[in-house]
Amino acid sequence: MRKEPINQISPKGLKVWRLYGLMHSAIIWLLVIGAGVLNWWLEGPWWVMVICVVLPILYTYIFVYLFPKLRWLRWRYEVREQEIELQHGLFVVKRTLVPMVRVQHVDTEQGPILRRYDLASITISTAATNHTIPALITSEADELRSRISTLARVAEDDV
Amino acid sequence: MSNERFKLHPISAAVNFLKGLKDLIFPFIFIFVVNGFQGDSYEGGHWTDFVPYIVGFLVLAFILSSGIIKWKRFVYWFEEDELRIEYGLFVKKKRYIPFERIQSLNYTESILHRPFKLVKVTIETAGSGSAKEAEAELTAITRENAKRIEAEMAMAKKRKANILNDEAISMENQIHEPNTTVPIFKMSVKDLIILATTSGGIGVVFSGVAVFMSQFSDIIPYEKIYDEFVVFLKFGFFIVAISIFVFLFVAWIISVILTTLNYYQFTIVQDNDQIILTRGLLEKKRVSIPIGRVQGIRIVENPLRQLFGYCTVIVESAGGSLEDQDKKIRLFPLVKKSEIKQPLNKLFADFDFEPAWTTSPNEAKPFYYRLDFLWMLPVIAAVSYFYYPYGLLSLLLIPIVLLLGLWQHHSAGFSLHRNQLSLRYRGISKYTFFIEKKRMQSLEMTQSPFQQRKSLASIETTIKSGMFGATAKVDHLKVEDIEKVMTWYEPSGHEVIEKGQPH
Repeated sequence: MRKEPINQISPKGLKVWRLYGLMHSAIIWLLVIGAGVLNWWLEGPWWVMVICVVLPILYTYIFVYLFPKLRWLRWRYEVREQEIELQHGLFVVKRTLVPMVRVQHVDTEQGPILRRYDLASITISTAATNHTIPALITSEADELRSRISTLARVAEDDV
Repeated sequence: MSNERFKLHPISAAVNFLKGLKDLIFPFIFIFVVNGFQGDSYEGGHWTDFVPYIVGFLVLAFILSSGIIKWKRFVYWFEEDELRIEYGLFVKKKRYIPFERIQSLNYTESILHRPFKLVKVTIETAGSGSAKEAEAELTAITRENAKRIEAEMAMAKKRKANILNDEAISMENQIHEPNTTVPIFKMSVKDLIILATTSGGIGVVFSGVAVFMSQFSDIIPYEKIYDEFVVFLKFGFFIVAISIFVFLFVAWIISVILTTLNYYQFTIVQDNDQIILTRGLLEKKRVSIPIGRVQGIRIVENPLRQLFGYCTVIVESAGGSLEDQDKKIRLFPLVKKSEIKQPLNKLFADFDFEPAWTTSPNEAKPFYYRLDFLWMLPVIAAVSYFYYPYGLLSLLLIPIVLLLGLWQHHSAGFSLHRNQLSLRYRGISKYTFFIEKKRMQSLEMTQSPFQQRKSLASIETTIKSGMFGATAKVDHLKVEDIEKVMTWYEPSGHEVIEKGQPH
């Protein structure tokens, strides 16, 4: 078996994903409460009420607890001298290899929520593909960015 | 260096005009059709009735004059090893394209160009990221002037080579007549007809007719036609069959004509480091592909063509612009698969086109159809229930999907051969990708929990094609095989395998 890449992303990234999950769970809750009230007012069948309770709880569990956790546990990356290796996915595990020679540029990005947690995402672009490592501590991301761009400049074509 | 400024041929004003017209043809038809059907109802109407005509006339005049102005203001010249272009009336635009950035010059001769021995030249550059930077178009210049651009480019190259090393590599053969080289491949009339018959072209014609019909649904009295159709049905099955046949036949003829217009005298010529494709009957096109820019080669066999042993060869080339979707160049629009090897090897000597394939293992078979049952069974159940007797016909889906799955399993495979990765897979058509390691932008292995249980995985690689990428993916191969590919691709892993080899 191939070894997993060494580095994990920041634990704070898990928090941010949970926050995202909470945000759309909140929307689902609002919709469901609306539907429940409507149902009660129109004296609809009882099982609608059951759905109205079970569905958002399930949704919240999946998107706030389960999925972020699985995703976070799965996420690995490793920047070696000559290549970058990523591993991510929820159920389907994706492992990506990007040779340093193919790297064209590296960007870091930080939205308002990521900034609050002092996180940034880093995007590695080749001529045809983009690969993003989400949620790294800002200073780490900056360091990684400059490291990759130095390595990419040094890397020689082997063909 | 001469600083002589060149203008386009006046005919380019006409070309511009026609191009402007083409963009406006639908609004125009709309205006005139709508107006034509309402305005004629009474004579000597109010002056406002003429507004559409006046507007139309003004628009026409505008297009015409803008076409002329575009031609008037357009100049190009050669300076400091650059092709410089200047155009625009109010906003003057200048575009300087260094010769070494020019990737290829493509020529098109439309019917307008041909009587005057003119060509349209499209200049393609290796777009370095930004889409706007690439591309320039000289709408109409004489063939001599087109030759002149080539000559200037060759001279610039020569100068550069001389600066680099004084033992001037004989660059004489850089200036040459491409016509003198022997064609590598020529498409015969028979091939043309087979191409037309087996292409999606027929489908396009069908849908074209359908679209045309729906566009004019307001004008065509469908109800009347429908009534007549019922009468017509009573005429009997025979006539219906005949008219369907006639319809198909007409569609086929149209498809043959369209294909002939596009691919007439399709020829491939190799010219040093360029592959030159010429084709077309009314509009002659000459496209050149720099061999160094070729990222990968793809052979496509749709089932119908595979049956007769034919295939299409597509070349993925880097660079070009956003609008240009034609970057997946059909190198051989249609060719016998058995005859393909020799010309391909001649063009791409580094490639092995008949590698030893490692195919998907037997235990992977169910993976190719198992998931399909997830959507298939509910659909079949629903259709069978709601359209009871005939709905049962949907059960036929099961063997079809099953067979397709097995066929996909049979086609899936990969091969590692020195610095070349070959991937073979099937959707409905069979694709065979040949890629050099140095062209692969990334490699990805994916594995679902189900695959993991059977030690299977899928592999995917992306190469640059046009502005974006092209991806090849083979599903359900053995994990250890895929890991071998990963190690082969990994620069550091590669060194572990072949110890001591510096690069």
